[in-house]
Amino acid sequence: MLAIKGGRILTVTKGIIEEGVILVEGGRIVEVGRDVRIPEGAEVIDASGKVVMPGLVEAHCHIGIVEESVGWAGSDGNEATDPVTPHLRAIDAIKANADERGLKAALETGITSVQILPGSANVIGGTGVVVKTAPKTTVDEMVLRNPSGLKVAFGENPRRVYGQGLKRMPATRMGVAALLREWLVKAQNYMRKKELAKEDPSKMPDKDLKLETLQLVLEGKIPLRAHAHRADDIATAVRIAEKFGISLSWEHATEGHRIGGWLASKGVPAIWGPSLMGRPKWEMRELNFETPKVLHEAGVKFAIMTDAVGSGIRFLPLCAAMAVKHGLPWEAALKAVTITPAEILGVADRVGSIERGKDADLRILSGDPFDPMTEVEMVIVDGEVLVGR
Amino acid sequence: MLAIKGGKILTITQGTIERGTILIEDGKILDVGVDVQIPEGAEVIDATGKVVMPGLVEAQCHLGIVEESIGWAGADSDETTDPATPQMRVIDGIKANADEGGLRAALETGVTTIQVLPGSGNVIAGTAAVLKTAPKTVVDEMVVRNPSGMKITFGDMPRRVYGQTQKKTPSTRMGIAGILREWLVKAQNYMRKKELAKEDPSKMPDKDLKLEALEPVLRGEIPLLAHAHRADDIASVVRVAEEFGVKVVWHHATEGHRVAEWVARKGIPAVHGPAMRRGTWEMREMSFKTAKVLHDAGVKIAITTDATSQAIRLLPLVAALYVKNGLPRDVALRAMTINPAEILGVADRVGSIERGKDADLRILSGDPLDIKSKVEMVLIDGKILYSA
Repeated sequence: MLAIKGGRILTVTKGIIEEGVILVEGGRIVEVGRDVRIPEGAEVIDASGKVVMPGLVEAHCHIGIVEESVGWAGSDGNEATDPVTPHLRAIDAIKANADERGLKAALETGITSVQILPGSANVIGGTGVVVKTAPKTTVDEMVLRNPSGLKVAFGENPRRVYGQGLKRMPATRMGVAALLREWLVKAQNYMRKKELAKEDPSKMPDKDLKLETLQLVLEGKIPLRAHAHRADDIATAVRIAEKFGISLSWEHATEGHRIGGWLASKGVPAIWGPSLMGRPKWEMRELNFETPKVLHEAGVKFAIMTDAVGSGIRFLPLCAAMAVKHGLPWEAALKAVTITPAEILGVADRVGSIERGKDADLRILSGDPFDPMTEVEMVIVDGEVLVGR
Repeated sequence: MLAIKGGKILTITQGTIERGTILIEDGKILDVGVDVQIPEGAEVIDATGKVVMPGLVEAQCHLGIVEESIGWAGADSDETTDPATPQMRVIDGIKANADEGGLRAALETGVTTIQVLPGSGNVIAGTAAVLKTAPKTVVDEMVVRNPSGMKITFGDMPRRVYGQTQKKTPSTRMGIAGILREWLVKAQNYMRKKELAKEDPSKMPDKDLKLEALEPVLRGEIPLLAHAHRADDIASVVRVAEEFGVKVVWHHATEGHRVAEWVARKGIPAVHGPAMRRGTWEMREMSFKTAKVLHDAGVKIAITTDATSQAIRLLPLVAALYVKNGLPRDVALRAMTINPAEILGVADRVGSIERGKDADLRILSGDPLDIKSKVEMVLIDGKILYSA
């Protein structure tokens, strides 16, 4: 039994508890409150004067799958040799047990759950995975949810990689949309044949891993994680998704300020970022820190992400701090890096807030989470102190 | 006459004045102090409760020469068709009077003086220029100092652009140093011939703009602006520079923590950044902590965003992160005002609030190193150019 006492607890979902106590056992939060009795024999961590919050949830990144600084040898995020690769899985390329800088930086920053996605070179890039950042012997031991979604990309990246670079489809946005529709239809055909084969097993089609993955999307088991910067690109994504009855999340949401109300009416969640950068591409020209405020006021469910490769993930709290500076309410920023990404990733039963029964993933700070000067003093994942012991 | 009164004035070089007055006339600071009398008829700006500091100086950027978001059509910083282009001049590629986003962002952040450099694809890329960010009809009206230095690059970038991609020299670090030496020797030969021609005009060599551009370097009038991340790369730069007796400014200074005392002994200033990025092998040790190590060893440091590599509007934020990582507050403030002004050779005009200097001012809602502070007003040469 572990007891963390005396800290200012930001539960995220159940308010702030001043000088509260959290009891941890078996890797889970057993109790949280003001007047919680600490059993004898419990190891006590004194968090007086500190802030205790849930470990952060990074909804969209490429740490582990692309090793920082190493160049091509560590770069496994984009199978840019075929624009449609639904059968590829991010989990097969994550360098766990390798002192990889991104995973290390995430843990040290108190980012305890991350969704690692394939890149955006491909129209259909492959499945993503949500992992905890506690180091394990193999990545399979770090998994929280696999697969967590199917990465698809709209806009300039597939057009640049294939149309510009390799002189093949897609060169235009029409081509991008057509490829996605074509493969969803192939998967529907496959599912129909499998259905018919129930009556006549001899009619069973050969197992096709590309179509098996798309079937998960068509059955509503995993959403599309749709990379798009522009409002017109997410409109295309939603047009296709509605036609096929599938769900999606809007990754990047750079032009979210143009389309907030519509997005809210469609019930599409947004994952906003990266933000601490220039505007290197035409489709990113409207990137600005006011977008989260606009999304919030329009009632869009949104998270804040870094889209990080490597140690840049450590700036997640700073991204949220800049959003607060530009008008996003503090509470909304807090949710946007904890419970909301947990919900969008489908792991909110386990992480994203300090509640009885959830995983004991905690982040103990010297002060306000959105003050750049605040230091991370301790990080606990599944009840184990991994940083700051 | 313009008077800015009641603000907390951070002069940078002469301490802080809690509630002071700055008098401005003809674009210059006429007076600054606690009991400065405001002449009748002066326009008065009430800065009570605000912080007034000099406009920031960004010593290393590609604003204006690389138009953000446009792609190749706006990208004019890298004449990567030839690894040695000393005759290129950044001033010929800056899009002034074009609503260019980067220059606008600099102004709105209160970055009033910038050194724009050519890119880092070439071994010898061309000359840089120092400009004010006040919009003008043509870039020539924005110039404070041109040329301000000769950009060179050591390390992986010229090797990738030429060796890897084009199968041309340089493909190795030996190749890079070889090219720099070769051109400095060519320029020395040229200068010698011109000297001899004084006695015999018929011996005058044809004018050669590449060699003309290197002459001010060999005469010590402008420094080599040396892009290098690694300690071994700056060692090579300095090795060549000392062979030719030329000056060096170390840009990026990524591995400055490995060679801080040596850099101090050599009297080389360092422009450190962009500290949020570690994308390549040679940048893998990039850290906010390096600035403190350099400062403690006695190196004159400036901090840079290297915009558009990192957004220019984040300059005050990165300064705060340097402070978080050990750099004293007052040093961080100097590192984006007077230090870069001195490194750029324009400290007679900008970088601090002193009588006689240009009236380039930045008025904030609070402390410059507090992320919550907003820029409320920016003045350049005594004119209000931005008001929130």
